[in-house]
Amino acid sequence: MASVNLTEAVRVLRDEVLDTVRHGDRDPPGTEVFEALLRALSIGGDTVPGLDLALHDAVARRLAWGDSEEAVLADAELVFDRLMVSTERAFRDPADQIVVIEAATQVAVTVSRVVAMAAVARAGRDRAARMRDEMSQHQLKEVLERQKAAIERLEHELKQDFR
Amino acid sequence: MTQPGAMRVAGDSHVGKVRTTNEDALIVEPRMGLYAVLDGMGGASAGDVAAQLARDTIRDFVLHRRLTLAPRALVEAAIVAGSTAVFTAAQHHRERQGMGTTVVACLVVDPTHVVIGHVGDSRAYLLRGGRLQTLTRDHTVVEELVDRGLLAPEEAERHPYKNVLSRNLGARADARVDTLELELRPDDRLLLCSDGLYGYASAEAIQYLLGSGDAPEHVARDLIELALRGGGGDNVSTIVLEAPSAAPSSTQVVRTSGALAWWQHRQRFLQVADDGGLTRSPIVRGLPPHEALELVALSLCQAIYHDLEKSTGVNVWTFAQNLAAGWFERGGEWRAVRGIVDILGTAAQAVVDDIRAAAPELGFLLDVAVSRALIVVELALGGLLAERLRQVDADVIELHTAQLATLEHTTQESPALGERVSERFIDRPTIPFLRPDRPVTGSGESAEVMNAIGKALTIARGRLSPRAELVAQVFLALETVAGDSGGNFAAAVVSARELYGARSVDNAGVMPLFDAFDKARILVASSVQQLRVLPPVRARVLRALSTAHQRLVGATTGLVLEVVNPFTERLRDAQAVTSELRDAVAKAERQRADLERRFATIVDPSLPWGARGTTEW
Repeated sequence: MASVNLTEAVRVLRDEVLDTVRHGDRDPPGTEVFEALLRALSIGGDTVPGLDLALHDAVARRLAWGDSEEAVLADAELVFDRLMVSTERAFRDPADQIVVIEAATQVAVTVSRVVAMAAVARAGRDRAARMRDEMSQHQLKEVLERQKAAIERLEHELKQDFR
Repeated sequence: MTQPGAMRVAGDSHVGKVRTTNEDALIVEPRMGLYAVLDGMGGASAGDVAAQLARDTIRDFVLHRRLTLAPRALVEAAIVAGSTAVFTAAQHHRERQGMGTTVVACLVVDPTHVVIGHVGDSRAYLLRGGRLQTLTRDHTVVEELVDRGLLAPEEAERHPYKNVLSRNLGARADARVDTLELELRPDDRLLLCSDGLYGYASAEAIQYLLGSGDAPEHVARDLIELALRGGGGDNVSTIVLEAPSAAPSSTQVVRTSGALAWWQHRQRFLQVADDGGLTRSPIVRGLPPHEALELVALSLCQAIYHDLEKSTGVNVWTFAQNLAAGWFERGGEWRAVRGIVDILGTAAQAVVDDIRAAAPELGFLLDVAVSRALIVVELALGGLLAERLRQVDADVIELHTAQLATLEHTTQESPALGERVSERFIDRPTIPFLRPDRPVTGSGESAEVMNAIGKALTIARGRLSPRAELVAQVFLALETVAGDSGGNFAAAVVSARELYGARSVDNAGVMPLFDAFDKARILVASSVQQLRVLPPVRARVLRALSTAHQRLVGATTGLVLEVVNPFTERLRDAQAVTSELRDAVAKAERQRADLERRFATIVDPSLPWGARGTTEW
């Protein structure tokens, strides 16, 4: 686990890493990644179930708001890249840098995995929905055939009656 | 074609083949907007007197009172005045007693608003959307009996008094007038006629002639001819009124006049293209000049013409694709395509300028349409260039991979050469999927760091189980990406593709890869800690490997998304098909229900005649 001071020191980099000035009072893209990084730093360790869940939740929320998976991934990459640059500049002690880099890598990989899982789940849903649609199409075609036959019969009978 | 805002009217009358006198009378007064057909009746030439008297009275009444009465009241009062005049005249002349006349009159309030009044069995018809509707109801004894339910409709057809009028002008001093107001739509046609027309011509034939699109004067005459061919047993009179056409839209103008004008100027197009040097372009090298002009300039001219006619861009697009794709396939340069397209653009502009000088409005519309066609050409060329660029990128990646494989060997023999080869790909981030907003990091680590990266990965491999092949592959990929100075995404994409292989799109296919990434990350991090180097170097090694790791995982996720997205597209396609089928089923259901309703009304004799489907004929 990183020291409290290190977590706080990374928190100070928030504006720089997320470029908050540019986004005004809105949450800048990649906020969830930065929050996850702070969480990883404060908890530490190689496997953090909480980190997985938190990121899963955050990514799902973004996707639900209409962001694409590509956008989520791109934001995570951007935050990672800025963090690498900021870390090298902000921390003199290489040990501190190493801790932050490890945590950042963990978060970046986790985000990628969560996005990939979401995409695979979407593919499954789409595949199932397409199958349902194709079954509906089959039924609709049958209905249409029956309707056509009924229309032809009625038109024929109407002609007969007019004669 | 009718000018916007103008109503065209024509009327005609004929004595018929049996009668010797024409007892019909017409009012055709465009200045007052008053039109009427009157059908006189009564022996000893009294019918024509009644009709003419009523005609003159109605016309004079409208002329003098049109500013003081509302249109509907004006029509009604004018017809009543006509009736009074006929009635009074009949009282004063013994031989004219019993004379009378029918009337159907139309007052055009404005080109979209008319008032129709009628007494007797002269009719007004409306042709709208190609379908003929009767606007008036005959005032005959039989019709009145049917209305009151005293006579069945089928009996009315055979009734001996079916032609006996229940109302006419002259029977009483006043007359009960039926009036209606009608809003006309563009291209609507109104027909006023005496019973000499509809008594001797079928409704279908009247509908056909009225909807023929011929000028009203021709239609009025043809309708009379129709009645005469049907027997001509009575005087026949017709007045045809045509509502103004809708103003043609700019698209219609371009599709008709614009396309025609463009095609008429094709020689000018060829001439300007020739003057511009089209025949000297390398694309048409070897062709005789006239053939070159025909093949390129005339083809574009034709393509634009067809696109103008159909308001599409497909012909021009195809032209541009054919022109450039063939040239590129032969290894031709972009500059030649650009040059020839510029020449053609100048020729098109010259033609548009000529047309604009002769007809400014048409020229303006054509300018817009032709400019659009030229933009389509540019778009088609842009698409081809993008395709070429993708091909170049693929070649670059392939070349890069091949060179990386030999890099290690080359570096040992000649470090300077290796460095140069490496730099070519680092310093030229031209591949499209390299995002320009992403900083390229680690552009050149020191030899000490690069050496330490190799050592860290060796340590990591040493701690790996022999069965963990996937993790070993990740290490290999990390080495490649990190060795590529840690920032180049192209190397990551190539490595990710190799790692991804042909995996299935499900958790069983994709997740083992991410588990391997995670395991590799942990092993690499711990291996870096074991390096016997200075802490700053250790940090740099970890940064380079972490960046490589992130690039690799990011590229792999990108591949997953690339594989998954077609599922969504296929779903959308399927949903579109389902939606179309649903619409078709709903439409067929409406059609079937309509037919069943018609069928039910026909077979249900308890319903009144008017409710039994389309029986107005």
